[in-house]
Amino acid sequence: MSLIATGTTNLIEVRLRPDFADAAGQAALAQLQHAGFPAARSVRMSTVYEICGTLNQSHLQQAARELLSDGVTHEFKVLNTPPVLDGMNHWRVEVWLKPTVTDPTGESVRRAIAELGLPEPERVRCGTAYRILGKTTRNVLERVVRRTFANPVIHTFTVTEAYD
Amino acid sequence: MTERRPAAAPNGKRATTAPVVPAARGQAPADEGLRFTTLPPKELKELNAKLGWSLNDVELEAIRAHFKKAGREPSRGEVETIAQTWSEHCKHKTFNGPVRYSDGKKSRVFRSLFAETIVKATKELSSPWCLSVFKDNAGIVQFGKGGRWALAVKVETHNHPCAVEPYGGAETGIGGVIRDVLGAGLGAKPVLNTDTFCLARPDYSGELPEGALHPVRTLRGVVAGVRDYGNRMGIPTAGGGLWFDDDYRLNPLVFCGTVGILPTWAVRKEVKPGDLIVAVGGPTGRDGLHGATFSSTTMDGETDRAAVQIGHPLNEKRVLDALMVARDRRLYRGVTDCGAGGFSSAIGELARDCGARVELEKAPLKCSDLEPWEIWLSEAQERMVLAVPPKSYPELERLFHAEGTGCSVLGEFTKTGRLVVTHKGARVADLDMGFLHDGMPRVERRAVWTEGSKPKRGPCGARGGPAVRGRLGSILTRMLAHLNVCSREWVIRQYDHEVQAGTVIKPLQGQRHDGPGDACVIWPVAATGDWEDRSGFAVGHGLNPSYGRVDPYWMALCCADEALRNLLCAGADISKASFLDNFCWASPEVPEQLGGLVRAALGCHDAAKGYGIPFISGKDSLYNQSRDEKGRELAIPGTLLITAVAPVPDITHSLTMDFKGPGNSLFLVGVTKDETGGSLLSQMEGCSGEVPKPDPKAAARSFKAVAEAISKKLVLSAHDLSDGGLGVALSEMAFSGEFGASIELDQILTSPAMLSDETILFSESPSRILLEVSPKDDLAVMRALKGVPARRIGSTTANPLIKVSGLDGSVVLETLLVELKAAWQKTLPELLK
Repeated sequence: MSLIATGTTNLIEVRLRPDFADAAGQAALAQLQHAGFPAARSVRMSTVYEICGTLNQSHLQQAARELLSDGVTHEFKVLNTPPVLDGMNHWRVEVWLKPTVTDPTGESVRRAIAELGLPEPERVRCGTAYRILGKTTRNVLERVVRRTFANPVIHTFTVTEAYD
Repeated sequence: MTERRPAAAPNGKRATTAPVVPAARGQAPADEGLRFTTLPPKELKELNAKLGWSLNDVELEAIRAHFKKAGREPSRGEVETIAQTWSEHCKHKTFNGPVRYSDGKKSRVFRSLFAETIVKATKELSSPWCLSVFKDNAGIVQFGKGGRWALAVKVETHNHPCAVEPYGGAETGIGGVIRDVLGAGLGAKPVLNTDTFCLARPDYSGELPEGALHPVRTLRGVVAGVRDYGNRMGIPTAGGGLWFDDDYRLNPLVFCGTVGILPTWAVRKEVKPGDLIVAVGGPTGRDGLHGATFSSTTMDGETDRAAVQIGHPLNEKRVLDALMVARDRRLYRGVTDCGAGGFSSAIGELARDCGARVELEKAPLKCSDLEPWEIWLSEAQERMVLAVPPKSYPELERLFHAEGTGCSVLGEFTKTGRLVVTHKGARVADLDMGFLHDGMPRVERRAVWTEGSKPKRGPCGARGGPAVRGRLGSILTRMLAHLNVCSREWVIRQYDHEVQAGTVIKPLQGQRHDGPGDACVIWPVAATGDWEDRSGFAVGHGLNPSYGRVDPYWMALCCADEALRNLLCAGADISKASFLDNFCWASPEVPEQLGGLVRAALGCHDAAKGYGIPFISGKDSLYNQSRDEKGRELAIPGTLLITAVAPVPDITHSLTMDFKGPGNSLFLVGVTKDETGGSLLSQMEGCSGEVPKPDPKAAARSFKAVAEAISKKLVLSAHDLSDGGLGVALSEMAFSGEFGASIELDQILTSPAMLSDETILFSESPSRILLEVSPKDDLAVMRALKGVPARRIGSTTANPLIKVSGLDGSVVLETLLVELKAAWQKTLPELLK
């Protein structure tokens, strides 16, 4: 596996369907409220897989459906465009491991995709997205995320104002 | 990672006169331009700091002299290898080195602190159940009936990485200790993990320096790390502890332990010249360079952050599965794990008595741009090194590849006594084993112990009268809610403590499975497959840094005492117990700090001799201090974790601590003294007293009598008295079993005869155990406890409250169990939501 990827990169986002309670999201909400963002109202989490390789759309759909999600509780989408920007106190925070840090989940997914009989990706990285509802400013949110979800030693993160 | 071992004095001489082979002709060193032997001392020091070797001046000079004699420059790989091997982490130079100790009156010179305290006691005891002590990656003791099995036990610390990245640090900590057990003997199958954390209070609200994480975040991170690694590898995490003290805010302590089981034939390992050096497990990347030298320095804002890694439990599980099959097919002769220092320390250790030739280009890599010395020293996780006879290799390779894990030959063991490392033909290192392992100059350190000046606080329990008595209930409630006593359910429930289906006595006990157990009992039937043998083992801990603030010597004895009582209360046979020591201390270069460490080591020696229990393994982590928000050095309180392991000959005889019914007699074994120094009472009420001082010989007699009563099935429940004394222990037994209790303080054996109600209830005198006994067995228990200080102090009741009658006969405390339990349960959930 080389660091310089030659294939195309796609994102698969997997999350709980809206009618299921998101316990991890609730725990994350409590952390945000503790760490200086008391106005946070809800957090829902999703897992994002960045898959780089020669997989086509139907391969990605199959991997997402059969490997990365649970048909009953989860929904997923395959993205190749960034999410639509649309304020309204909705925020999206994505936390990724730095490229120099080993990503065990990504590594396992890479092997598992190959074991499904699909083309083995060159690289898979796994990140976490937090969809946060609450009135704040970007600076405050960035500071709070540094205190809670992301450790600058091993993580990079992005904060975008976004509606889903 | 390397087990601490006594410095090998006889080989030391050989090292200094060892011949050094001049640079091989016609072969360029792999990297040029260190000019190590010609640099002026100042520049050499700068180079040392820049490249993160953490070598001290004497060591730099020793290396310089060694290579000057050889008439050549060392390569970077050579200096790096020496720096790793000589690091505090691998060689434990303080513990193994000479120490000049004085305590005001007497002074004493230790040639090796470790050898003259802990090892000495173990040697003198020469307990027959110890199969391998202080030699291998873990201590190994006998287990079960018929001598077929052995237990490998190891407890590690992983403090510095957890301060920087708690989740990854805890994961790699637990991963590392699991590999230690996998690399003990010819490999043991892990059957239990334990974890103990020392952190600042989660509601710490003071300032923190740049880059330091808030304690609540560290707590969440380390719990999640241990949880994810242990759960994913399918190993139960069923023992451990938590201790909060704000002086841990910059240097949290994370102790990870593992117990594994192996057949007795696999205890011995050997390496023969001609064996292949085989690396198994994950590929090598640029992860965590300088983890070992990292532990020789104090932490500050600029600490090298490359030392942080993330664990990969599934890779380690593959290694575990393949290794166990390979062991039973006897495909290899020696094994060790790659811990700090990576290949350099693993191969250096296996080849210690022979020699090795390593070709680094054969190591599978994560990325192609690694320098050869980086491959040699990388601390990429989940790798192990085996010594494999050439004829067995094809089968071994098939086996590891079938599990989906890497397996490659790096070279072979030789009989040259040299460590020769090459990369594509170019020399990376060519070192003499003698110099590498025994050539380290020994620096004598100075240690001073001064009796702490008497605190200005008033004595505990001196006040009398109705006003204080009215407050006993409120003190008890607040004690139960105290961070160092309260329910740990928030942590324990995150761990899988049931996987492998052998957890007989679980960490949470009682009617509603939420009471605080003393120790866990494991029946490793999933590993042995022998359903007829009901042998299990129990693991307990003792830790109390606040006694250490008064005197580390008594802290060591108290920790040993508590760990043993925990085992006893679970029904273990403590006459065959073993101890593990884990010291975490601040900089040993400060004589006062080292003085405390020497006191603690002397305490360990006396505890081992007094209780007749050997130490089988241990680890120390020093330099746990950092610059705080105001730029001052903040040292952790000297901390000693004693882990005790003992067999439970029949798991059906094991005990829990909750009351089993109403109307049963309560016996208190042991004498209650005016010992409140460092106690919970002294911390809460701002008073002071004498630190608890165990008498190991007398305690051992009591324990033996209690063990006899338990083995005759006369005891329904047992609980040790530790933080918060009798009050807390009684409440915990009562609310876990949901039966009340009524006791009379004037029945309790005290010394001196007159103590206040408050002191009797909350003194932390050691060696005391509370027993619940059916009234029909009262006489039998009294017979068993003959000659031992023990009294019947009251009984359990159906009425769900704790009722205590004071010395004057009036009721001094009457509190409902629901109130006590609610106070005990709410603390952590409220802080962590």
